[in-house]
Amino acid sequence: MISSDIQTVLPEISLAVFAMLALLAGVYNGKDKTAPMMVWLTSGMFVLLAAWIGYGGEGTTTAFGGMFVNDGFARFAKVTILLSAAAVLLMSQDYMTKLGLLRFEYPLLVALSVVGMMFMVSAGDLMALYMGLELQSLALYVVASLRRDSVKSTEAGLKYFVLGALSSGLLLYGASLTYGFAGTTLFSGIIAAADGGVSLGMLFGVVFMLAGLAFKVSAAPFHMWTPDVYEGSPTPVTAFFATAPKVAAMAMFARVVHDAFGGIVGEWQQIIAFLSVLSMFLGAIAAIGQTNIKRLMAYSSIAHMGFALMGLAAGTAFGVQAMLIYMAIYVTMNIGTFAFILSMERDGRPVTNIASLNQYAKTEPLKALAVLLLMFSLAGVPPLVGFFGKFYVLRAAYDAGLAWLAVAGVVASVIGAFYYLRIVFYMYFGAEQDDPLDRGMPPVLWGFLVVTAAMMLVGIVNLFGIEPLAQAAAATLVN
Amino acid sequence: METIILFAPLIGAIIGGFGWKIIGETGAQWLTTGLLFLSCFLSWIFFLTHDGVTETIHLMTWIQSGTLDASWAIRMDRLTAIMLIVITTVSALVHLYSFGYMAHDENFGEAKYKARFFAYLSLFTFTMLMLVTADNLVQLFFGWEGVGLASYLLIGFYYRKPSANAAAIKAFVVNRVGDVGLALAMMALFFLTDSIKFDDIFAAAPALAETELSFLWTNWNAANLIAFLLFVGAMGKSAQLFLHTWLPDAMEGPTPVSALIHAATMVTAGVFLICRMSPLMEFAPETQTFIVFMGASTAFVAATIGLVQNDIKRVIAYSTMSQLGYMFVAAGLGVYSVAMFHLLTHAFFKAMLFLGAGSVIHGMHHEQDMRNYGGLRKKLPMTFYAMLIGTLAITGVGIPLTHIGFAGFLSKDAVIESAFAGTNGGYAFWMLVIAALFTSFYSWRLMFLTFWGKARGDKHTHDHAHESPKVMLVPLGVLAIGAVFSGMVWYGSFFGDHDKVNSFFGITHVAAADDHGAMEVEDHGDAATQEGTAIAEEHDGDEAVVADHGPAQVPGQGAIYIGADNHVMDDAHHVPTWVKVSPFLAMLIGFFTAYMFYIVNPSLPKRLAEVQRPLYLFLLNKWYFDEIYDFIFVRPTMAVGHFLWKRGDGNVIDGGINGVALGILPFLTRLSGRMQTGYVFTYVFAMVIGITVILTYVTLSGGYN
Amino acid sequence: MIGLEHYLTVAAALFVIGIFGLFLNRKNVIILLMSIELMLLAVNINLVAFSSFLGDLVGQVFTLFVLTVAAAEAAIGLAILVCFFRTRGTIDVEDVNVMKG
Repeated sequence: MISSDIQTVLPEISLAVFAMLALLAGVYNGKDKTAPMMVWLTSGMFVLLAAWIGYGGEGTTTAFGGMFVNDGFARFAKVTILLSAAAVLLMSQDYMTKLGLLRFEYPLLVALSVVGMMFMVSAGDLMALYMGLELQSLALYVVASLRRDSVKSTEAGLKYFVLGALSSGLLLYGASLTYGFAGTTLFSGIIAAADGGVSLGMLFGVVFMLAGLAFKVSAAPFHMWTPDVYEGSPTPVTAFFATAPKVAAMAMFARVVHDAFGGIVGEWQQIIAFLSVLSMFLGAIAAIGQTNIKRLMAYSSIAHMGFALMGLAAGTAFGVQAMLIYMAIYVTMNIGTFAFILSMERDGRPVTNIASLNQYAKTEPLKALAVLLLMFSLAGVPPLVGFFGKFYVLRAAYDAGLAWLAVAGVVASVIGAFYYLRIVFYMYFGAEQDDPLDRGMPPVLWGFLVVTAAMMLVGIVNLFGIEPLAQAAAATLVN
Repeated sequence: METIILFAPLIGAIIGGFGWKIIGETGAQWLTTGLLFLSCFLSWIFFLTHDGVTETIHLMTWIQSGTLDASWAIRMDRLTAIMLIVITTVSALVHLYSFGYMAHDENFGEAKYKARFFAYLSLFTFTMLMLVTADNLVQLFFGWEGVGLASYLLIGFYYRKPSANAAAIKAFVVNRVGDVGLALAMMALFFLTDSIKFDDIFAAAPALAETELSFLWTNWNAANLIAFLLFVGAMGKSAQLFLHTWLPDAMEGPTPVSALIHAATMVTAGVFLICRMSPLMEFAPETQTFIVFMGASTAFVAATIGLVQNDIKRVIAYSTMSQLGYMFVAAGLGVYSVAMFHLLTHAFFKAMLFLGAGSVIHGMHHEQDMRNYGGLRKKLPMTFYAMLIGTLAITGVGIPLTHIGFAGFLSKDAVIESAFAGTNGGYAFWMLVIAALFTSFYSWRLMFLTFWGKARGDKHTHDHAHESPKVMLVPLGVLAIGAVFSGMVWYGSFFGDHDKVNSFFGITHVAAADDHGAMEVEDHGDAATQEGTAIAEEHDGDEAVVADHGPAQVPGQGAIYIGADNHVMDDAHHVPTWVKVSPFLAMLIGFFTAYMFYIVNPSLPKRLAEVQRPLYLFLLNKWYFDEIYDFIFVRPTMAVGHFLWKRGDGNVIDGGINGVALGILPFLTRLSGRMQTGYVFTYVFAMVIGITVILTYVTLSGGYN
Repeated sequence: MIGLEHYLTVAAALFVIGIFGLFLNRKNVIILLMSIELMLLAVNINLVAFSSFLGDLVGQVFTLFVLTVAAAEAAIGLAILVCFFRTRGTIDVEDVNVMKG
């Protein structure tokens, strides 16, 4: 019994053990010299685990009495999380070294938060969900304030911590109500208890839990932490925030609403649609006024989460499929964009001002073109890959009878296109400036930038085949 | 071979248009011209070896949606073959001619323009070929619009001249009116027959004649309505009355363009369309009557306007319009072979007249007003002879009651005789005869004003008038051959006795109604033609048709369709002698009047114009068509457009969008920025407000039980 | 007789007080940490009350987890706060606003 349970959670256990062993090694060594090696090791571990989970898993297995579910949906999410975390970790190294931030804790904290994420997406029980969430969050609070000597970084950590704790509290309060009114913390029990209607207490529980989840995906109006934390954190950490935790939170969101509350779609559909439309518009409108590219990316991710939520709001298997595709595309685009942001330097010092991109295309035509592709894709300009992501969620919403939401999504994406295109405008037609950005770029970043940009173009052929995978994943969650 | 004919011009256009920077301007010129001569050569081979059997070559599938199935396919029959030689021959010669004509052009200064010109010409040729080889209406429409585009580009070729741009736009817009008709006809046909393939439509034609169709305010006979709509399309392209105003203005384009597009090929597309749709036309008698009426009226009106125009190209343009009227009369009467006959001969002599006029204009340093010509016979001898042949051809000089004469003599007389037979000496016949008189008058007036008399106008220009280079004279010579002989050579095939025409057009004749049910293949061996063309062969079973009751020919079989009770052509051979002589007499009267006016007593026209001033002004101003249209259509449209632009678009839409984009959005952006205060308690407050709103919503909406 | 609803009401009141503490307090970040603790404790009351009422041990197990995590959370929160104080020199909530807009 136990051995088969262990078997099921072996990837997570391996990563946790790896992280703790590495921690021990780091502590005994007491030096940050091992940090670069650790970064590569952790990344390699992530990739290995991704391969293990991606190729190894078959069917649906549960462990610990249903607390841990290993199904196609979880595997899809985990592979996405692991690969994006590996990518971001690799991209961090040069930047962190340059700023003297590359301490050996960094890859370990990332690894621990990834363990948390993996538990989140596999949770089959409110307790497992909470533990995964907290493991992830606590690690993230620390990495947000990794730059201890910076006001901004520590303030980001502090804000993230206070608000994150509040959201955990909301989620927990909702969980306690759900537990009380369903009589169990197992998702399978909750869905049975909620079958054929819910009590008011249960409904409150659902709302509080959704609010807590919405915070994690930074959906409006629970988004307020996002811009500040994105701006204050060291850029590699921002890149990490924008990718893996978003996927994990979104997958957990889908897990909760479908596994635990799949029988009462009508109750949460309107709430998620409301969160979705608010996020899309707020993200699009507030981003217009930004001058800092990290803040801009924060609002961009809020808007993108709005679109992903649109897929969830559909409440159908196709909606989940659309959401998974959307998240995979979103992560790819963000990795490329942050690879570029990480390389933005003037006189060897990182800059994040959008105006510094003026006339960038003159000095760096290839990189400017890559950024152009990524920006167009983020804006959802056909025929780039980003357009297909939007297309899927719009279709899902429309098929589910939420035509108004789809229309709102189109309008919001039109407004949102403005600020993406503004970056392109600066690069190609911006004012002359005598102080251009530095030309060089670490090869890792260059590789990620160019490859992701190329993927935006090449992917239009078949989206690299993720569509059937996402479909299979969604089918295991919604039935 | 057919594919090469079709695509050689396209390849020329693409390489010449996009690749001239690589192969050079001269290279592009030679390439396009060479490919067209290849296309022309193959066309002649095809024409001379064609046996009249319709064949379809499927190139590729284009649109397949439900029952709509349009493919790129080439339909080769006699009609196509005739158009092929007309198009490719004139086009090839015009390409060659343009070497000289376009050699220097002060309109462009230093800018390179030649490759663009040749690419446009080739593009035009390709689209025109697409039009005539289409085997379904959609492909035809593609060609139809393609030639419209090429025509637009070439009329507006001197894009630095405002008048050229205006003329190009006018041509495009006026043609759109006709295109609406064609598009509606296409839709109606698809709606009723569920196919846009010619074969299916022709087979359904008898059924269409029985169908009633509700359109606009009342019921119509389907065949009549569709035929009428098709004719509206043809009217636009072929500059028939009311939709003709673009053609004279189109003379703003370079003269070779006028010769190719606005005389020989594109403007005859309407005639081609009517002939192509002959199986349908034969079942639409009312529309046919209408076509005859419009054609005759156009021939007359255009001829009257041509009498007083002073611009050499405009005279020829009105002459073209008038001749198109002739063709439509023939087509409307059901003698499609005669319409095609006139189309063929007209292409030769009218292209020659235009190219001759171009040669004169070239020699006279782009002076186009005939009042400034005179006495150019000596200075431009070759051009003079070419123009003389063209004039003799268009006025119809020949030996009456025989089949010997210039091309126009045979084809025009055939039209007029058919008009007499078809209308029993009615309106159309008389209009055409009078138009023939006027034709003769203005053609000779053109000759006399240009080549005879004293030199008028700028002395310097006359002193430097020079004969055109050989490269421009050779095409004139080639066309002269056509203008002289084409009528005599193909008279039998187009307007000879029944069997000869039938075999030429690939019509299998079912001998008699009592033979119904039998497989009847006509033996064409007897019909061997003296011209050596249209070598008929025994065809096998696919030519055979099962004859049902009545019709002597199954619609859609053969290049043209002649209804069972359509005997106009036979009757035309038996019209009274005075009818046969009448066009010749009209020609003589016109000639002598012109001679009196411009050679014997040159002051006469001026006096006449003063005496009959209102009439003169009426004609000089082209029956005030432009002015009336300007008043009825252009100004109200401009007024409405101006209103919508200033008020509707400017105030409402722009105002709305700008208001949202510049007013509301920045406001919201500032607002959201202000909400993001940076204080933790604000953020918490926002979250609490959010959760409160959601809780209130779910509680009030009664989501729980 | 003290029933389930009494416990739930107490828990809800504590929870709301905790939330109010988060956004009404403008003085000290430490108070924020205390408010968060208050919220978590309210949740714990909820869980234990439900557990006892349902006769189901899971709720109490959950409570233990929450307590553990709350301790870890407080530790991390205080650590971040110390870092913040070192760089900013203050722990006033109103001074935590370098980044905004």
